[in-house]
Amino acid sequence: MRERSRKFLSGRGMRKLRRDRMAMAALAVIGVYLALALLVLLGVPSEDAVQERVAPDNTPGFFARGTAERRLDSAQFHLDSIQRSVRSSDPAKAIAEHRLGTLQLVQVSPEELESRLTEAWRAFDAASALEDDIESPAATARLDELDTAIDALYVQPTGFAAATRFAQLALGTDRQGRSILLRAVYSAKVAVQIGVVSALIAVLIGTLLGAAAGYFGGWVDHLVVWLYSTFSSIPWIVLLMVIATVCRGDAFAPLVERMPLLPVYAAFCLSFWISPCRVVRGEVMKLKELEYVQAAAAVGFGRMRILLRHVIPNTAHLAFINFSLLFIGAIKAEVILSFLGLGVQGTPSWGVMINHAKAEVLNGFFWQIGTATGFMLVLVLAFNVLSDALQDAFDPKHV
Amino acid sequence: MSADALLEVRDLVMHFPVRGGVLNRVQRRVHAVNGVSFDVRRGEVLGVVGESGCGKSTLGKCLIRLLSPTAGSIRYEGTDLAALGHGDLMPFRKKMQMVFQDPYSSLNPRMTVREAVREVALFHGVVSRDAADAYVSELIQKVGLRADAADKFPHEFSGGQRQRIGIARALACKPDLLVADEPVSALDVSIQAQVLNLLMDLKDELGLTVVFVSHDLKVIEHFCDRVLVMYLGNVVEELDCERLHADARHPYTRALLGANPINDPADRRPLTVLEGDVPSPFTLPPGCAFAGRCPVVEPRCRAQRPPLELKTCGHAVACLLEPGA
Repeated sequence: MRERSRKFLSGRGMRKLRRDRMAMAALAVIGVYLALALLVLLGVPSEDAVQERVAPDNTPGFFARGTAERRLDSAQFHLDSIQRSVRSSDPAKAIAEHRLGTLQLVQVSPEELESRLTEAWRAFDAASALEDDIESPAATARLDELDTAIDALYVQPTGFAAATRFAQLALGTDRQGRSILLRAVYSAKVAVQIGVVSALIAVLIGTLLGAAAGYFGGWVDHLVVWLYSTFSSIPWIVLLMVIATVCRGDAFAPLVERMPLLPVYAAFCLSFWISPCRVVRGEVMKLKELEYVQAAAAVGFGRMRILLRHVIPNTAHLAFINFSLLFIGAIKAEVILSFLGLGVQGTPSWGVMINHAKAEVLNGFFWQIGTATGFMLVLVLAFNVLSDALQDAFDPKHV
Repeated sequence: MSADALLEVRDLVMHFPVRGGVLNRVQRRVHAVNGVSFDVRRGEVLGVVGESGCGKSTLGKCLIRLLSPTAGSIRYEGTDLAALGHGDLMPFRKKMQMVFQDPYSSLNPRMTVREAVREVALFHGVVSRDAADAYVSELIQKVGLRADAADKFPHEFSGGQRQRIGIARALACKPDLLVADEPVSALDVSIQAQVLNLLMDLKDELGLTVVFVSHDLKVIEHFCDRVLVMYLGNVVEELDCERLHADARHPYTRALLGANPINDPADRRPLTVLEGDVPSPFTLPPGCAFAGRCPVVEPRCRAQRPPLELKTCGHAVACLLEPGA
């Protein structure tokens, strides 16, 4: 087996692939995504971290302050939440436990904090007083004072906490103040998971059914062809929606509870097996007439053994290509389904993020939709480039 | 029949149904082999010659039961193979193997030489698992390849080398009968001779019986003891190879011999070129299949089908114009 993989890696196809710079770059990009997915699997960022509020709603990315209105809104959010803690029934405890992401309140006496808060409110009122002319230099100066007053309420993070805060706020926050970057990274894991699982299962089902249909012919062939003709005559998005909806029904509720992605997997596997099935069936019909298959029959091998050892291994290149096509297909379909509200539920995903971004876009806030689409675009593009290169490298007729 | 017959073939018929239409009914049949009878004697090399589409490859595949004949019997040492199912055939599979025509498609591209040969030997229990590697190496060297060829894949070999691997795979289960279906026709002439000589050596060394299918009379003459001449699914003449030039009597055999290039220009004779085409294998003519192209045809040839009759000892001809023995 080691001999085999050495031959494969030093073979003509691999040499061609390695010379292809675009393919190698794409491979590196995919590697980064896989690393991200692995990181998420190891718990960085954790599921809680991506659901946690780290800043006021819709904070822009790269620590930009945004428009004057947004600065005022965000200041009001900080002051309101601190005031709630200070005025609560047990101020000392509430103040000690007050958190906003990695930020925590300065450890001073409640009275001292109260006075700093009052000062901040005063700055807020001064700035709001200029609301009619909020873009004027005077108003900007007031807003800067307000920011300083708010900064004085928090312990400024250092070291690891500062780095975490940078990561959390690098691409802004969504409508619930959750970090967009962390959610997008977490979604990479969801996407890779959905892509790998559904592409793998779909290719497996498609290869087995297609190979059986092509090799045995007769009623097996009729059945499989009838099945995929029927499936492919239904528009795939409708099929996806129906399957996803059925899986959300009561009958599957306990299963779905344990595996929230099950409806998505089911929908993708049931609609994606068709294209590998079709190509594999055609290839097997060609292969079974070849003399090495007849030679195996002359030796006396059973039909199953010939199919599994002599026919299916020779369709491996098709499985390879179909996997890379279906992987991106699944990722894109996940986004569409989630956008329609039928896909991933409970955890963030790029589709869920784009769905949530609908209202923000109307308000001129593009950080969330931009991040989600950007993450998806880069991965899909890299995979497209790679599968093109794979096809070129492993196609024997391509010089 | 004769006591030394390894294989007795009687009235073998192989028709391929052609299905079509909405109800997928059998619409017509390809009459590939139409009632062929002959013996294969133990230790001989029997040549089967004929033009493309005459059913010689189909005949070869029926002999080793790659195809199930429509009618007739194939007796291997007395057992009728035509009637056996997959499981009952197994002991006979071990005794009969085939060498295929196209060295480029007769080897599984994903199996190394070792895997391909080993698989066959182990399946039929010829060697134990521990001894298999040594057995494979020995066999590979026996067919004239270097021992280090064992771990290579088929695409690393030339056509002639691949044919040697094909022979090694066929011999892996130590068969008695080898059906060689045009084993050299896809090879260069220089390589053809090498592979033929290899087959001859192996035949002598292992005491094989060989059915050698070819369209090339020169190769048949060089290699075979007896020859069957086939035309449109029928055997038209059967005789010893050494008497082929002197005694061939069927007009088709004579035309085939006449079409062979002559080495010495002084020996050149006027060529009889066959006119017309082979009749369609879908609808056979009522009389002699060769009547439409025969240079000496008579009216009765078109009405009556000539049987294959023994004319002299070991020489049978299917022609109405030939006097009996």
